[in-house]
Amino acid sequence: MKHKLTLFLFIYLLGSVCFAQTRVVSGTVLDENGETIPFANVNVVGTIIGTTTDINGKYSITAPSDVSAALKYSFIGFMPQEVPIEARTTIDITLFPSVESLDELVVVGYGSSTKKELTGATTKVLGDKIERINIPRIDQALQGQVSGVSINTNSGSPGGSSSIRIRGLSTFGDNDPLILVDGIVYDSEGLNALNPADIESINVLKDATAGIYGVRAANGVIIIETKKGVKNSKPILSVDYYYGLQQPANKLNLLNATEYAVIKNEMFANGGENIAFNNTQIGEGTNWQDTIFQNAPMQNININLTGGSKTSKYSIGGSFFTQDGIVGGPKANFSRYNARINFSTDMTDKLTLNNVMLFTHEERSTLPENGIGSVLYNTINAFPNAPVKTGDDNYSYMEEVSDIINPVAQIENTFNGSMVDKVVGKEEFVYKINNNFTLTNRISYNYALVDVKSFSPLAWFGAGKAQNSAINANLDPSLVEIGDSVFIERGAGVYEARTSYLDLNYEGFFNYEQAIDENQTIKATLGTSVFKRRGENLSGSAFNIPNNSVEYADISANLAPGGFLNNTGSYEFEERLFSTFLRAEYNYKYRYLFSAIIRRDGSSKFGPSSKYGFFPTASAAWVLSDEGFFNFAPITFAKIRASYGVSGNDQISNFAYRALLNGEGVYVFNDVIVNGVAIGRSSNPDLKWETTRQLNVGADLNLYGSFDITVNYFIKNTFDLLFQPDVSALIGSYGPGGSPPIINAGDVSNQGLEVELSYNSDPKKPFVFGTNFNFTALKNIVKSTPEGVDFLPGASFSVGGNVATRFEEGFAIGYFHGYETNGVFQSQAAIDAAEVTQEGAKPGDLVFVDQDGDGIINFNDNSDKTDIGSPIPDFTIGTVLNSSYREFDLSINLYAAIGQEIIRNYERQQPYANQLDYVINRWVGEGTSTENPMVTTGATRSNEFSDFFVEDGSFLRIKNIQLGFTVPKKISKKFKVQSVRVYLASNNLYTLTRYQGFDPDIGSNGNALSAGVDYGFYPQARNFMAGINLKF
Amino acid sequence: MVRLLSNTKTVFIALLTLVFIGGCEKSFLDIDPPFTQDAENYFSTADDYEQALIGAYDLLQASYLTVWIGEIASDNSIAGGESVTDSKGLHEIDKMSHGGVNSELQSVFRWNYAGIARCNYLLEAKDDIEFDGKSSVVAQAKFLRAYYYFELVKFFGDVPLIIDQRVGPDGAAAIGRTPKTEVYEQIEQDLLDASADLDWTVIVKGRVSKGAALALLGKVYLYQDKFSDAATALGQVIGSGNYSLIANYNELFSVANEGHSETVFDVEFSGLEGGSYSCLICLEGNAAPGFHGIRQYNGPVYGDGNSYNLPTKDLYDFFSGADIRRSASLLDIDAFIDAQPNAASITYAEGGGGHTGYYNNKYIKRIGEVGLPDNDLTSPVNYRVIRYSDVLLMAAEAHNRNGDDGTALTYLNEVRARVSLSSVTSGGSSLTEDIWNERRFELSGEGFRFFDLVRTGQAVAKIDGFVAGKHEVFPIPQVEIDLAGGSWEQNPNY
Repeated sequence: MKHKLTLFLFIYLLGSVCFAQTRVVSGTVLDENGETIPFANVNVVGTIIGTTTDINGKYSITAPSDVSAALKYSFIGFMPQEVPIEARTTIDITLFPSVESLDELVVVGYGSSTKKELTGATTKVLGDKIERINIPRIDQALQGQVSGVSINTNSGSPGGSSSIRIRGLSTFGDNDPLILVDGIVYDSEGLNALNPADIESINVLKDATAGIYGVRAANGVIIIETKKGVKNSKPILSVDYYYGLQQPANKLNLLNATEYAVIKNEMFANGGENIAFNNTQIGEGTNWQDTIFQNAPMQNININLTGGSKTSKYSIGGSFFTQDGIVGGPKANFSRYNARINFSTDMTDKLTLNNVMLFTHEERSTLPENGIGSVLYNTINAFPNAPVKTGDDNYSYMEEVSDIINPVAQIENTFNGSMVDKVVGKEEFVYKINNNFTLTNRISYNYALVDVKSFSPLAWFGAGKAQNSAINANLDPSLVEIGDSVFIERGAGVYEARTSYLDLNYEGFFNYEQAIDENQTIKATLGTSVFKRRGENLSGSAFNIPNNSVEYADISANLAPGGFLNNTGSYEFEERLFSTFLRAEYNYKYRYLFSAIIRRDGSSKFGPSSKYGFFPTASAAWVLSDEGFFNFAPITFAKIRASYGVSGNDQISNFAYRALLNGEGVYVFNDVIVNGVAIGRSSNPDLKWETTRQLNVGADLNLYGSFDITVNYFIKNTFDLLFQPDVSALIGSYGPGGSPPIINAGDVSNQGLEVELSYNSDPKKPFVFGTNFNFTALKNIVKSTPEGVDFLPGASFSVGGNVATRFEEGFAIGYFHGYETNGVFQSQAAIDAAEVTQEGAKPGDLVFVDQDGDGIINFNDNSDKTDIGSPIPDFTIGTVLNSSYREFDLSINLYAAIGQEIIRNYERQQPYANQLDYVINRWVGEGTSTENPMVTTGATRSNEFSDFFVEDGSFLRIKNIQLGFTVPKKISKKFKVQSVRVYLASNNLYTLTRYQGFDPDIGSNGNALSAGVDYGFYPQARNFMAGINLKF
Repeated sequence: MVRLLSNTKTVFIALLTLVFIGGCEKSFLDIDPPFTQDAENYFSTADDYEQALIGAYDLLQASYLTVWIGEIASDNSIAGGESVTDSKGLHEIDKMSHGGVNSELQSVFRWNYAGIARCNYLLEAKDDIEFDGKSSVVAQAKFLRAYYYFELVKFFGDVPLIIDQRVGPDGAAAIGRTPKTEVYEQIEQDLLDASADLDWTVIVKGRVSKGAALALLGKVYLYQDKFSDAATALGQVIGSGNYSLIANYNELFSVANEGHSETVFDVEFSGLEGGSYSCLICLEGNAAPGFHGIRQYNGPVYGDGNSYNLPTKDLYDFFSGADIRRSASLLDIDAFIDAQPNAASITYAEGGGGHTGYYNNKYIKRIGEVGLPDNDLTSPVNYRVIRYSDVLLMAAEAHNRNGDDGTALTYLNEVRARVSLSSVTSGGSSLTEDIWNERRFELSGEGFRFFDLVRTGQAVAKIDGFVAGKHEVFPIPQVEIDLAGGSWEQNPNY
């Protein structure tokens, strides 16, 4: 800097000598919000005369008096502007942020790069795109923003998680990417702790260059940076608030009471039984969906103070967020309190301290979700002829179906709460050894304390219901024999658990950068990482809580005599990782770029023979547009890239390579349960990580300076999948708590094409328009399964264990396996005339297709089942449109997933269970329906898992639409506010889909093989909100 | 130059630092799981053996499958349940259409081998250390191993015999099916060893006694038509004087009466641990009573359940009206409801898997005998493996078929006298027939009928769809043949 200044001074003097005709131009450089920009560059075009703005954004420059002279204003992160001086002596200028800058920093792991230098497939999303759309969880906000990243909602309940998949499913095990927030490892569940408004940027490493993270990188890496402040800037206090009202976006078309009675009568009659309703004119009955869905509020307040002095910068924030559920209201609430400080200071000229600390307190209440017995499953299947309550007090029982209970009573009797206190932080020392070397040492920690408490009051949902905790409607407790003929009462129960997790991570690395000569630069990173995770759990339950009341729901309050019924449990776990890594980069004139990475990981998770692994990656890029021969004006920048490398997935349970005595060896002596020992999972000392080899080729283009295109094609092959295939019974693995050894076998391949387009119009014009569009096409296929294993069974359909999804060679992971239908048998004559014999077929039954061509439909084996769908979309599209006109701004986020299927698995196929209204168009005689079979209580094969239960899950969703108004400066200044923006927004406003369920954006509950199976999962709400952004 | 030198120095220091840190690496990564014992080098104290023995007992709780299949495969009951696809394997067995793919049979195969592996784990280490009471621990383990092998032989015939060692995946592929006679020899030897070291009386309810070992040995002999040996072994049980029939047949199966004088060997269950359908072998409760329960029943005495294993009219009609064992064994549900004061308000449902009007009244969920939720799965009702009346009837059969009708009649009539039935006076093959019939009267619903019919050659005549030369044994689960390398031959005609 000093040298530069001297140089400028020299040139300035030189200039004044050479050109006696000079003049002084001064002014202020402002950003789009009217804030001053310090240290912005001001140069005279075509000369080397230049200066920078001072702390108040003011400059003064001596320019030639030549009438054609112009000034160029530039600053990192902003689009440069050239302005002819003409006759002016004062020029105030407003710079606009550059949306896609080639010099923009991209975080790549243990260092950063620029967009121009990148050799890998990395996508960056700026924090404002996340913050803008007011979606409480970062992962949900990220949906549709990055090509190659698919995000599905596992649950739309407040605080519910998403499944994040980078470049497809590569295993039926853990597909979660490695998530690093300011370099600290987060699990996807832990993302709840983050306030989206605190995000500065999200960088997604999609290809093999993620291999700098070695054994944990196979599922891709998401690097989240939080807001950091800017040196030499005045403190800015921003306050953001929004309030929203959520409502169900979609309700199912269920039968009303009259339709129900008519159809059920027909069902019984067809089954040869007496009809159930003598009078079918019973009106609309109960709309159970109306009884459990409600409008629910959500609100968020966020305060952030950011700024910096000469040697330090800071960003301090706090937020409060709370959201009730559209099902259950406060019983499905999620609230988050969050406080955060990012502080960075130059302790000496050479030593910088970066400090990050986040404290979060989360509270969440949940209802039973996504399965038989969940509130929504019960709601869908509840009888429309049953009232919510019979008489004043008793909820109706609906006893005809044993596993459907009254959902209103269920919500009332559910008390599940959890609390998470989390402290996450990092102390990082960056020592600049000399101009070439930097040494970074950091220790990070992530501590979480998770408290769970659930209270089970004595409740009676009707005879035969599994959820009953009392033995009758008087709520009498059950009697439990605690010794020979000694009985005690077992009343309301409470379960409490506390689990703590502590991650400690030390990382030290050197960054080296040196220009060999004027054309060549080398960079290198060499470092080591030591990681330890430890967790402890203690849980207990107690009974006979006083007054059957949640008010006393604590283990300490139990009145069970002698604590006989009380139960405790505990566990601990620990895992460790030791890694060293080296990255070397070379470029020639920033035109030819090469990079190589090698990482060595040692992990406590793997057996003695496979404790250590090497993960190499190589990548290269060529900036075509810098070549002399490249002379095609519309293309202002062009680069092609390729990378290939190996990474691993270590996400398996700890000590899986060893046989431990953690099986269940429990028996009953003297009427008391006694614990013995038994071998759990069998051992496999050769157990190692899953290995992914990925090839990526891509190109980045810029047209006319405003239109960016990025294209990637990848082939990602995963080998050595961790399988637990069946083993011979003789090994003895199938006792309680036992399981076969985990072995490495099976391969999966993902291939895909990703396209990202963005356009930004000239920000100086009053009407500004910008768009981001991304497109992902993905093909997932299982390449092999272990020898002797034809397939791995996945999720089951209905009740009774029909396996509906599979992991099988030649098909997508978790594809749907069942019968293909071909209409409905119209008559006995048609059955008799059919070439294929279908056992037990009656007119009105579904016609199945004979897949193996043996002339009969075989129901005793799988020979006539086939591929009837896949939960993986063929392609996904995300689009963001931004526009502004003077004080108004409008943005729209769209997301579409096309070509995936969903299993309609929320219908309890029982005579009295309610049904979707498609049964109105059922088969009732020859020529009536070729789609929907007849209804019957008799034996029918129409309930076998077939494509009748598989629906097209494609959808297009308006994820967010927002209209904002920025109060003109003149007015806001009067109120001593720098800027005020108010907005109206809606999330999930409209979804275009043919899917009949609540919500087609359905995740997997963590298990890759249960993706796309809808048990009536908790849908995402539609909401309308109003908000204000204030800056002081 | 100076700069380059200083850089070289820095790199050197950097590498040195990494090498230094790397030195601690191995010890850093070699950690043991906290508070968890490793399977190898486990046995070092007497308590370790005791703990492993409890683990070996655990698999006895698979007995609910024996109750189901032993009845459903026979003329005593139908599969029942919610629908014909609810536990499909049982419906196939009911119709004698079962094949190599049958999840219930697969469970029988897997769980009994899991039990054997747990016994072998202990017995493999039996010579590692000496301690007081070791002979009893070893004897109990041998009894359990004999029990599990006997289950396997009853169901599947020839089965691979593994003794005193554990096998891995490679080992499993190298073991063929051992001829039934050799497996029986091992079962007999284990039971002889066990009975030599066990006491007649056990202090702890649920432990194996000498009587249990001898009674099971007698049963094993009987299944091989070794009548003289059976008579001897069973005679020791009877002669011990430790057992007697209880007066009231109706009280045989109540939880409150457990451990009564007729108990020779029970599988113990408890209602004190909750359960879920996802792992029935993990339960500490007896799954059978809940599954046998009356579907969506809402009324007195009984709890509701899943309407499995429903007794047939054939069985009901087999009894004379005078035999109190009819109502003790079969619940005529409609008659029962009609007899209640508030009959009109009592409801139940017929399952889609079949309805006979009868429920298994021995193992059924009763109010007052329910465990923790889900109480369909957590019945504390013990499974009676061998009752004294069974010992008497087995002894009667052994003597009769060994030519001693006098002793046979004594034992048979002792059983009949308990339920106030007149004495039988027949002899020879007609006495054999009477004893067999008495077994059905006395023991129906307890999981013995199918195996009795096969053993006595009556199965073809009594069971619809039974094919001689095929259905005497169940097919080895096909997946087990494949997993063992495909070299085992399937049982004939499957």
